[in-house]
Amino acid sequence: MNLFKNTIVASLLSFFLVIASFSQASADRLTRAVADWTGGMVTCEVAEQILEQELGYKIDSIVFPSGTGLWEAVADGSDIQFACESWPSYAEADEVMVNQKLIYNGEVVKDDYNGDGSVEVYTTGIIGSSDYFVPKYFVDANPGFKGWEDLNDYKDQFATAETGAKGRLIGCPVPGWNCHDQKRLDLLGIDFVADELGTEVAALAEASAAYERGEAFLLYFFTPHWFQGAYEMVPVNLPANVPCETFNEANNFTVCGPDKWPATGWAKDYTINYMNPAVFAKPEMAAAKGFFKKMNLDNADQAAMINEIDKNGRDIVEVVQEWKDNNSDKWSTWLP
Amino acid sequence: MAFFTNISSSTNNYIENKLFSRLLIFIALAVSIIFVFIGDDVTEFPLFVTDSFTFTAWVNHGEDYLKEHYRWITKLIASYIKASYYALEDFLLDSSWLFIVAMLVIPSLAFGGLRLALLVLFGVLFWGAVDLWDSSMETLALMGLSVFLSVIVGVILGVLCGLSNRFERGMKPVLDTMQVMPAFVYLIPAMFFFGIGGAPAILATMIYSMPPIIRLTNLGIRQVPSETIETATAFGSNKLQTLFKVQVPLALPSIMMGVNQTIMMALALVVLATFIGAQGLGSEIWVAIRKLDVGWAMEGGLCVLFMAIMFDRFGKALSKETVTLPSDSQRFYLLPQTWDIYPLARIIEKPLGYIHFCFVLIFSSIFSAIASFLNIFISIFSKEFAESISKFILNHYFFFTGILILYGLSVYDSTIASIGAFPESWHVSLREPISNGVNSLTVNPTFISITKGIKAFVVIYLLKPLDLYLTYLPWWYTTLALVILSWISVGVRFAIITALLLFFIGACNIWTEAMITLSSVLISVLLCFVIGVPIGVLASYSKRFQNINEVILDAMQTLPYFCYLIPVLMFFGGGAFAALIATIVYSIPPIIRLTVLGLSQVSSTYSEVSKSFGGSTLQTLNKIKFPLATPSLVMGFNQTVMMAFAMQIVTPLIGGKGLGREVFNGLARSDTGRALAAGIAICLLAMILDRISLAWTKKQRDALGLS
Repeated sequence: MNLFKNTIVASLLSFFLVIASFSQASADRLTRAVADWTGGMVTCEVAEQILEQELGYKIDSIVFPSGTGLWEAVADGSDIQFACESWPSYAEADEVMVNQKLIYNGEVVKDDYNGDGSVEVYTTGIIGSSDYFVPKYFVDANPGFKGWEDLNDYKDQFATAETGAKGRLIGCPVPGWNCHDQKRLDLLGIDFVADELGTEVAALAEASAAYERGEAFLLYFFTPHWFQGAYEMVPVNLPANVPCETFNEANNFTVCGPDKWPATGWAKDYTINYMNPAVFAKPEMAAAKGFFKKMNLDNADQAAMINEIDKNGRDIVEVVQEWKDNNSDKWSTWLP
Repeated sequence: MAFFTNISSSTNNYIENKLFSRLLIFIALAVSIIFVFIGDDVTEFPLFVTDSFTFTAWVNHGEDYLKEHYRWITKLIASYIKASYYALEDFLLDSSWLFIVAMLVIPSLAFGGLRLALLVLFGVLFWGAVDLWDSSMETLALMGLSVFLSVIVGVILGVLCGLSNRFERGMKPVLDTMQVMPAFVYLIPAMFFFGIGGAPAILATMIYSMPPIIRLTNLGIRQVPSETIETATAFGSNKLQTLFKVQVPLALPSIMMGVNQTIMMALALVVLATFIGAQGLGSEIWVAIRKLDVGWAMEGGLCVLFMAIMFDRFGKALSKETVTLPSDSQRFYLLPQTWDIYPLARIIEKPLGYIHFCFVLIFSSIFSAIASFLNIFISIFSKEFAESISKFILNHYFFFTGILILYGLSVYDSTIASIGAFPESWHVSLREPISNGVNSLTVNPTFISITKGIKAFVVIYLLKPLDLYLTYLPWWYTTLALVILSWISVGVRFAIITALLLFFIGACNIWTEAMITLSSVLISVLLCFVIGVPIGVLASYSKRFQNINEVILDAMQTLPYFCYLIPVLMFFGGGAFAALIATIVYSIPPIIRLTVLGLSQVSSTYSEVSKSFGGSTLQTLNKIKFPLATPSLVMGFNQTVMMAFAMQIVTPLIGGKGLGREVFNGLARSDTGRALAAGIAICLLAMILDRISLAWTKKQRDALGLS
């Protein structure tokens, strides 16, 4: 029996060694990250299907939380070569890593990137905006409520068991999104607690349940998003975005005062796909790069797909494939 | 009733001494509550301390330095591991599904018999049936490679430990740290040095899963009787020969046990490693959790569970000694051997016995033919060699049959007809029924009101007040209290260490987070006691209940802790309360187990005597059994606390707060220092509570005269 075991062990050993000696990296194989939120997933799935079906690439995907860590991974390039739909006002790494003009529909929309150029970016076509929202029935019932300045007067209605006397904001669900909700509330003097629920879906489940019960609630979310179509929500119109130079990792998040970011709303986001410049400079990647330069998915299309996935519970691959089959006039213009 | 007073008189002394200290504790509590009410904001460490103690920045600078100068080495290692991982993964993914089934079932048949083979077959088919075949293969590849490397490195280190006392002394603290440190803490640095995906996952898994194999190899080597070694030396073996021919073979059962434990731990971490980009079942579960798709997450969780059970049973079969049966009894292949008293079982087993006999006959004759052919052929060159070869083949016909079948399958697949992927018509989706079931439950008004009621109670009366109490209580007060506690229960040295550790947490500016973590751990442990002890008491009285209980607890402890989030998410949604429930579900088994153990260990003489003195069952339980079972209960407390701390790392996924979220924040912002500080803080809190409760157990034992 003992010899038998030894043989098994020995053969297993040699088996591993033999397969370990084969290793090959396919030339036009790319790895992308899967986004944290449905919109980002849709954008990347659209890109993946076009790259695979029309341009003959093989795309792998890795589930990885968005945030600076992902930007660093893309800059490194050995494990993840591109990721989709970063929202510049959420990313903090873009200022450090991007060094090029951002062009949308032939127009320069941002030309003050002064990073080290370790990551290359192209717009996706999606334009995002974010704010805090309250349900419309709350505004109807409280005509005195005009916007975020009045939140404190109604905080009792927004309080929950967890937050006690303070009101609750169903905040940005994922830390890597860099929303700084609590900081914003404190700077603006809003006596609310930001609740981070861990996933986008958990936050929205909480919000939908509150909506169905007709309770008052304050919710962070962004458009394009299915929530906007499904429920009537009113933005509280946070102050217009004013950037703050020192509020970043390098300066230990030193605030600029009560009238600059993060005490303001988010800027209008020309969302970007970001990729490793060295990898995409290779001749075999020219087609992929050409595609990313031209990709221009519009908000309405993405919103329709998000709705199919999140409201009707359909599979993302199937939904995107259906869109691709019916909209060849749109995506064919993106091909290099 | 003299008996009762007698029993409790031994503890009486103890209690009287305690009266004074109880008064002190009461005063201390009262003062602390006053402090909490005076304080108008959460307590914070003095700014000059937190500003000058920039641990986070030091770690990040150190990391940058290492990255700059030594990254080429780590990249090289990573590229080797990655290459082997991709090769293994591609091999598993490209092989036909029948080949994989055969590859897993044949060894199980060989070592564990028909029962294990059927279990494995079911598990493997389940992966295919729920359409998670590819993810399962990825997890299998990750686990296979990390277990393989862990075993090689672990056995070498274990043998070194077994041979050298000095090496063992050096390894011991390292092993202790490896086991206490939450895996997340080194998962993140691993990512920065070794990249994303398979390579860092495998290396982190090695760190996590190697301690048992090192310890058990060491133990096995040391347990070899010195006479045996002396005999070997007397017969002229040199050191290496003694090692490989005597010590290692004799240590093999112990090593095999280590392999089994390593496999289980590796599986738990491989699933968790999805956070650094390792693919497989873990990422399926994670994506499902992110989408709140309970059915999908459940399918992934079940795949992991079956994989764990399969490997656990296989490992046990491997290390189990073969039992020789008396020649007249019928050998059972499927049913438990103890059932051979039932005629029906014998009838069922009869055909299986014949099949086995035919199988053995056919294959052994095929291989004896091959062997004698080889014998004739090779004996032209060397007679002795030929003899040994044919004998070898004959003795291992089962092994060669397996190889033959695998080879036949792959030849069939590549030349005759492609078997391809798992047949789609065999897919069975559990996703929708589970999701629909849960959804119908979660819109049920009674269910909503019950869960809301529990939630409101726990949050308003337990979680919220303790959170407030601990975060508002001045940091020096908390530190002082814990230091005094560790002084009384352990000693001066540990009191100083406690002070330093708490100071570290405060100086890293994560005091509030640490207190929130402490509060949720304490509340979950409290609730574990409230739920677990009655279950344990019931189980200690009813044998049948205990049997059912054992099965459930076994399954609970086999499941990687990531999977506990699923059912909780299912019923309670996200948030701090859900995180609390997940912690309770994960950490309740030890308290139930140790309650049962403690109560049933109480010598039956005591309970007999108590009964003969007219004590009712309740009296016996209350006055005799519980006091005597206290050490066991404290032990259960200790283990529950440890598990609750471990769980704090994954609860942020469903809305948990405190240090766990700090770790996540660090990961998301690629801020190693921040993640490391929070991870270390979790370790430190766990360590302080661990030492205090262990010392307390010892005192209790001494007081009861049990040690």
